[in-house]
Parts: sequence; C-alpha cells; structure tokens
Amino acid sequence: MKKNEFVNQLSEYCEFENNNFTLDTLLKSIDEYDSLAVMSIIAFIDENFQMKLTGVQLRELTDFKSLIVLIGVDKFEND
Amino acid sequence: MAAKIKAIGVYLPEFVLTNIQLANDFGRWEPEKIESKLGIKERHISAENETAGDMAYYAALKVLANYDKGKIDMLILCTQSPDYFLPTTACVLQNRLGLKTDLCAYDFNLGCSGFVYGLAMAKSFIKTGIASSVLLLTSETYSKHIHPNDLALKTVFGDGAAATIIESSDEEHIFEFILGTDGSGKDNLIVPNGGFRHAYNPLSEEKKTDSDDIYTDNNLFMNGPEIFNFTNDAVPKAIEQCLIKNNMSLDEVDYFIFHQANKYMIEYLRKKIGIPKEKFYINMLSTGNTVSATIPIAFSDALNNGKITQGNKVLLCGFGVGYSWGTVIVEV
Repeated sequence: MKKNEFVNQLSEYCEFENNNFTLDTLLKSIDEYDSLAVMSIIAFIDENFQMKLTGVQLRELTDFKSLIVLIGVDKFEND
Repeated sequence: MAAKIKAIGVYLPEFVLTNIQLANDFGRWEPEKIESKLGIKERHISAENETAGDMAYYAALKVLANYDKGKIDMLILCTQSPDYFLPTTACVLQNRLGLKTDLCAYDFNLGCSGFVYGLAMAKSFIKTGIASSVLLLTSETYSKHIHPNDLALKTVFGDGAAATIIESSDEEHIFEFILGTDGSGKDNLIVPNGGFRHAYNPLSEEKKTDSDDIYTDNNLFMNGPEIFNFTNDAVPKAIEQCLIKNNMSLDEVDYFIFHQANKYMIEYLRKKIGIPKEKFYINMLSTGNTVSATIPIAFSDALNNGKITQGNKVLLCGFGVGYSWGTVIVEV
C-alpha cells in the first residue's frame, strides 16, 4: 500500500467526512476523531497489517505520518 | 444431576435517556451516527434511589410470577454496584422476595462476564446436589459510577437487570465452559476510588479523556482502545477453545449471543471469528450495554422473537472488566 492510499483508505474506513487529508494532517484536528475513530484505526491496522496498537501508542499519535512510522515505513510502497 | 435454563425475567428502569437528549445536552455528536455505529438509540437509567438490589428484585418478581418460588434453594447476585458493603445484597433479597431460609445466597462481583460465571456456579451446585433450583440475578447500575459530563460512557452504558432460573434436569443442557482471567488489564476499566485501596474522595480532581470527556477517580474510567484490543485477542481464542472442549464446530452452533458491549465491537468480533450474520445476535438499541445483564436480556429477547427455539444450541460469551471472560454452549 502506498502512503497516500493509506491515508485515503483509513479516512474512508473511519468515515471521516473530509477526505482531503495529507500525511501531515493532525489526527486531533479531524472533527470525527473520537474514541470510535480510534477503535476504527485499531481495526484497520489489525486487518491490513496484522498489528496490535496499544492505547499508549495511539495516544502519542500526532499526524498520519506518525501512524505510518508506528506501523513501519518499510511496510509501505514508495508513492 | 444435570442443569438447564428454565426461564428469564428482565427489568429495565423507567427513565429512558435518548441519543437526542445526549446530543442536546452535550452538543457534540449526531444521534444518527452514534446509533448506526454503536447500535444504541436509547438506554434506561435507574432513579437516584433505585439500586441494583431493587432492580434485581423487580426482575426476580417477573420470573417468579410463573414459578413456584418455594423450589428456589440458591440465590446468587452478580453486581458491581451492591446496595451495601455489607450485608450481602443477595441475603437482603432472600427476605424481600419471601424465599425460604434453607437457601444458599451470596453476591459475586463481576461485570460483563458475570452471567456466564453465574451459569457455571449454578450448574456446579446443581451437579453436586447442593442445590436444585437456582435464581441467578445479574443487575447493574453503572450510570451511578459515570461522571455527569462523560458523554462517551453515558452513551455506551445503560442500567438493567435480569433474573434467570436454572434448575436440575435429567439431561444436560448447559455444556462445557471456558473461563478466563487476566488481571493485568485492571486499570483499563475501573472505578479507582470508593473501596479500601483508595477511599471515595469528594475533592478528587477532574480529568479529561482524549475525547474531552470529564471524570474523576471516583468515577468509572474506561480505556476504550485497550478494551477493544483485549476483546480482539481473548474472545476469538475463547470461542475456539469452547468449541474444541464441546467437540463442536462453528457450523454446529445454531446461534451466538455475545455480551452486547457495542455494535461496532461485537460486529468486528463476528467477522474476525467468521460467524454468519444471521446466526449472531445484535440488539442493544433500546438498552445500551447493561454489563452482566446483556446476555440474559438478549437470550430472553431471542427466545421471545423466535430467533432461538427449543433444541437450539446457543453459544454465550461474556467479556470485559477484570479482565474476565467466559464462554459456554447451552441447549435451549
């Protein structure tokens, strides 16, 4: 998966209404970013990367890029 | 001696808190979106002077209306909101319900796994000949633990009670159990103050969750992401172990009733485990998450609307605070 595809697919999965997000978009700046969205992120990462993110890791997230770093940049194709 | 579930009675408090009301009070989210994601439209909330003991009493009255209460020789109450530190609420209920005194009664403190643990205890007491007719009460008032400004928890949890009669039977209808515990998750669903580790503190400082909800250490705190991680790990394994122990395949189970935590969570579990949609109960629309009462409320509803019928094999799975989980297969 390419990084930009990841941003789009995750946004769609979390049902974020605005889908013009970039790697630098701060997650907390998204209107719909709440505890339900966090559950959706856990589910999306579990389904697509077979990874379990802890509550502490999720709390430390800033932007989409930080999530990619957490998953591992090597798991993404170059854009 | 074998055991079977004989009847279930349900009690829900009169006051109904709707999503629309919560949206008006907090002005933060859309009621329709919450309903579609969490599967909850409204929840019942106990009155200020209405306790888990009161709710258990009303649920018991319903189930005992068509049962000879003189046969009840064991009464167990599952709650995390007892009427008193002591005496045991189940003892109070023995007298209030007018049950005989040569009866075994006690409370046990579990949350969402409580109903399955209660079935395990009822079966064990019947199988060993200590009891023959058990009244299992599961009653919870989490609303009393939740901070008035905690929208996330007010949305998810409702109050409710169920009374289930389990009695001796010639053939076994309550099959093998898988019960599990992992206390390392204790801090992820907790009311820190009010026991003897940390006393209730009226001056406890207000804290904010990531979703800007307010709580103090006197209130219920839930770390949603960690609870979601726990269920994703523990529940599929418990289901697999339960099927192996009962020598059954997933296909041989007629229906699945999980603890009704919230629609998003249990729907995710359903897909992960591979349970067909038509065999999976989801209905917490008008009750929310009533903790240890969700499974018997769901069981009763599924019986009433014909989703499960006599002879069906139903897998029950409860999971949550502790962490604690339990799974069993029962025959209707």
